[in-house]
Amino acid sequence: MSLVRRVLLSRLFLIWGFTLVAIIISLAVTLLLIAKSKQTEISQAPPKLPKTPNDSDERHQTEQINIFLLDTESLEVKPIKVEVQLSRDPIDRLKSIVDTLTKETPTNYRNPIPRGTVLNEAFIDTKKTVYLDFSHHLTSGHIGGTTAEYMTISAILKTVFDNFPDEIRYIQLLVDGQEIEALTGHVNLSAPMQF
Amino acid sequence: MWLRRDKSISVLISTIFLFLIAHGAVLAATVRFVDKEGNTLAEVEYTRYQQEVYIPVEELNDIFKSDISPLYNRPRKQLTINLKEKELVLLMGKTTVKNTEDNQTYTLSIPPRAIDGNPMLPIVFFTEILPSIDDVDVLYNPNLQRIRFMPKTAWIPDPDDETQEWTIVIDPGHGGQEDIGCKAQSGLLEKDVVLKVAREIQKLSKQYGYKIHLTRESDVEKTRIQRVQSSNRNRGDLFISLHCNASFSKKQNGMHIFINNPNGLLRFRTMAMPSLGQNKLNLRTQSNFLTQSKEFGIVLQREMNFITEKPIPITELPLITLEEIYMPAILIELGYLTNDNDATLLSDRNHIRELATAIARAINTYRMKTSQSSDVTDAVQED
Repeated sequence: MSLVRRVLLSRLFLIWGFTLVAIIISLAVTLLLIAKSKQTEISQAPPKLPKTPNDSDERHQTEQINIFLLDTESLEVKPIKVEVQLSRDPIDRLKSIVDTLTKETPTNYRNPIPRGTVLNEAFIDTKKTVYLDFSHHLTSGHIGGTTAEYMTISAILKTVFDNFPDEIRYIQLLVDGQEIEALTGHVNLSAPMQF
Repeated sequence: MWLRRDKSISVLISTIFLFLIAHGAVLAATVRFVDKEGNTLAEVEYTRYQQEVYIPVEELNDIFKSDISPLYNRPRKQLTINLKEKELVLLMGKTTVKNTEDNQTYTLSIPPRAIDGNPMLPIVFFTEILPSIDDVDVLYNPNLQRIRFMPKTAWIPDPDDETQEWTIVIDPGHGGQEDIGCKAQSGLLEKDVVLKVAREIQKLSKQYGYKIHLTRESDVEKTRIQRVQSSNRNRGDLFISLHCNASFSKKQNGMHIFINNPNGLLRFRTMAMPSLGQNKLNLRTQSNFLTQSKEFGIVLQREMNFITEKPIPITELPLITLEEIYMPAILIELGYLTNDNDATLLSDRNHIRELATAIARAINTYRMKTSQSSDVTDAVQED
């Protein structure tokens, strides 16, 4: 008897062969059951609601919001309306709104957010306090002076509070993940604040 | 016909316009006399003669609200006025002023003149003669044509009484190569302007008799904590932080006084302890001196208003600069370096001196006020 035939007829080969076949069969049965359960779920789901303008299943939709910038006539931080694509997720919405604030500068307005400033991250805690983490440009690119600092802080706080009147009560500004005392050494930013 | 009507309307409008301009020009050529609170006593038209400002003698009645009875002897060009129970005799074109009551003579730097036949007094009559015959200090601002009468308030400390010795901490903001503060288009830096003003105040302090401690004496970087520690260690009675402002609009100008208040225009979250976490040192904060800081802010505002056309606002905000300063404290923004006019003024040595003088006067007035109120308290306690 050749060596190949002796191996094929050995007991060990037979045991392994049967085990392999059993595994394949059980896998096939499992997959069949999963496929069947999915089909059942789909068949039990409610029918889709008709699409309305306010209830879209798209991730983003265009909305009109207020952002606050320096009016060069009155020299006050005032609201202007802009259209922006917003998600339904509150944190994503917040990020998009603050992003818009850092970029927009219409005629007759000045943007009190230093050029190049980017919102790194936004967090919210259980006490409705939002932490806005900006890039270092917020401090390193700031022109200084108590009034200019107050304008920058006002623009951020007013924009956020106007768009989240119930959801947010306090705001703390961070720079590159760190707490800061002030933008350039005047207005105290070492704790969460409101107007 | 229509054309003629249009023409007459335009002539009428032009006439009204010219009248308004002329009226404005007349209004502008006045000297305003104010009391110590800054309230207007009289607004008097003046005449310029050889660059000097002259006031008509008859206006004295209006300024002093009493009968000065000026007598002018035209042939002898001699003017006699009864002022503050003194009879003063002046000769037109002569600098000598004679007090006939006690035969004392005073000298004016600019003589009185008869202009168009009318006797006129130079503005220096008020600043040079009046303080000698009355218990009054007179300040003149030639830029705004404003004269201020104040009771003599120079506080002279008693050398034997150490408790009367006052230490004023002047904090010239920023400093060093890293922290230059705001910057003007001309290259003028905040750190240099505020240091100049601080040094001027230090010079003036000798005449008022209070000690000055500067948180930095040269162009060096000092951290906030270093400034707090040196101020509190020197047991200052008053802290004045000097700064220059900036705005995102070049139009914005003027001075601004700020007071530290964690519940001001911005408010901290309740129970949030700004800076230093839960450290016990937080109890020694500026909040304990809010009332005194406001009082000094008002005194300073009054003094600074005398040297500026634009009224100076006082704003309360949480300020990190003053947060741990354990004494009455204010922060003053001396002008906007982002505004060309303010930047030009802040580069002018005379304006720097004017700012320092106004601040030094405010310190003195506040010192007087505090001393008077503590005297009253002592008297009540003794009773």
